[in-house]
Amino acid sequence: MTDIIVAEGGRTVGAPPSVHRRNWAWLGLVPFLGFLFLFLVVPAISVFSGALKDNDGQFSFVSMRAAFTGQNLDAFWFSVRFSAGSALVGVVIGTLLAYAAATATRPRWLRNLVTAFSGVAANMGGLPLAFAFLTLLGKQGVLTKVLKEAGWDLYAGDFGLGEVPGLIVVYSYFNIPLMVLITLPAIDGLKQSWREACANLGGTTWTYWRRVGLPVLAPSLLGGFLLLFANSFSAYATARILTQNSLIVPLRIAFYLGGDINAGEDAIGFALAAWMIVVMVVCMSIYWVARRRAERWRS
Amino acid sequence: MSDHSIHVAMPELEGPPTAPTAMAPRPVGKPRVRFARLVPNTVMIVCGVFFVLPLLTLARFSLQNVPTILLGSSTLFKKWSLVGLTKAFSDPDFWPALRLSLQLAAGTVVLTLGLLLPTAIWVHMRLPRARAFIEFLTVLPYMIPAIALVAGIFVIKPHARWFLNSDLSLIPFYVVLALPFTYRSIDAGLRAIDLKTLVDASRGLGAGWLTTLRTVVMPNMRTSIISASFLTAAVVIGEFTIADTLLKETLPRFQATFVGREPQAGYGLNLLALLLTIGLFVTLSVLTKKRDYKRNSFTRQLEKATKMTSDTTP
Repeated sequence: MTDIIVAEGGRTVGAPPSVHRRNWAWLGLVPFLGFLFLFLVVPAISVFSGALKDNDGQFSFVSMRAAFTGQNLDAFWFSVRFSAGSALVGVVIGTLLAYAAATATRPRWLRNLVTAFSGVAANMGGLPLAFAFLTLLGKQGVLTKVLKEAGWDLYAGDFGLGEVPGLIVVYSYFNIPLMVLITLPAIDGLKQSWREACANLGGTTWTYWRRVGLPVLAPSLLGGFLLLFANSFSAYATARILTQNSLIVPLRIAFYLGGDINAGEDAIGFALAAWMIVVMVVCMSIYWVARRRAERWRS
Repeated sequence: MSDHSIHVAMPELEGPPTAPTAMAPRPVGKPRVRFARLVPNTVMIVCGVFFVLPLLTLARFSLQNVPTILLGSSTLFKKWSLVGLTKAFSDPDFWPALRLSLQLAAGTVVLTLGLLLPTAIWVHMRLPRARAFIEFLTVLPYMIPAIALVAGIFVIKPHARWFLNSDLSLIPFYVVLALPFTYRSIDAGLRAIDLKTLVDASRGLGAGWLTTLRTVVMPNMRTSIISASFLTAAVVIGEFTIADTLLKETLPRFQATFVGREPQAGYGLNLLALLLTIGLFVTLSVLTKKRDYKRNSFTRQLEKATKMTSDTTP
């Protein structure tokens, strides 16, 4: 907290420090901070307080451990797999698409179309998306039928929209556009002069990307990966419509919260949520650091 | 300079040796553009298909009453109608769900603006040092996703039934969910207008605080207030996680259950919801583009002005 204030304060504060006035000004933040405390901090802490109790209400790690063993561990592993897969697809295709849009010259509206559509699609998770994919790739989906008639029966194996490959395809619908929004500014930041400098020194296109382009983009790519991972890992609505698969952590949490389960088992739901918050905090913290590094090259 | 053109000429050795202009420093990469565009263009086309197909099949399912099994060249153009889109409106559960969602959206917008506008203005005017801290707080909801937030609500539930039993108790949590978007939008609006100068000028001319807010700050903030409201409305109208786990019968809950009863009309309703969201975001992007334009011209004028003063005051 103090770090951030110092970093920002170095530039912006011009007024001579007046202890009296400063103390008074902080009071203006009380309504906002109070609101956040009540409706964000208290629930977040409650998750941990609910997770760190045993049946008798005593402090214990039993639930936290139970949430990380057996079927629950399988669920985490499953969720990590499809989230990482979908983030990877999002990073690669999203970056390529952003590059294609940034360098396209021919139809002038193309770039605007890509950014505008990305803004929409990145926020299009949730129910309609899930239903749209059911009509495309569900058991009765149009593409499923077309592929079957072409000789490829999707559902002959263990394909399903609730399995890893299916989830990767569906989540790519909002992950790719999100990645476009993240990397487009970074790609715009690649200066033509760097490319020329590289060529002047005898480098090929390959050298340019390996020695200049990708290293400069690396923080954005890493940050993007983490953001997409977090995005997929915590998505509930889309998964809920697509599948009953209880290996998806958010669905599992909801199952423990709302289900008719034995007393004390709801603590496992809280513990799963607590682990999820831990995963999110780790991802977002690294994302934050990566973003700061990525901004270094922008001017 | 001449040194450089020699190096540039190096890759040209592969080209036709008869080109005498090879020594001129041409923009690098230009000669091979045709080939270089192959990968980006392919990516663009594949993505275009991927992003449009699900929407088309959703539209087909909503508008054409032919099961996929029977779909073929002979049935492709049969039984299209708009019935699938309107049927939901005659369901008795639809209107209460829509009403609740609109109430939640309105409440969330009001609470968001009431909370964020004064805070953001205060931070810009009096506490610029706290800006990074506030910004950090507003992205906290990214770390506590909706499903984890709802787990927290379940822990508190036994102690706060009087509050959580009300459907409208979702409002503050929706404010929290939308916070990363809304605060950024308002903050960007404030950054664009050089608030301090405007307020100082207004106060210097004798206006009180309220007059300043009403006649100087608010009109300049109009676009960012509207876009913050749109974003909030879009988030609330599409929110499913919290409503579903707390069993509040909002529009998305209805969208999910109605499909089970009336598949075609259910998909039609989801198509409408999708179009509504797209409409909101397109309006939003048009609005922000205007603001960026305004902001740029403002900055340009400011730069011109400062240049002029610095020219005359050496």
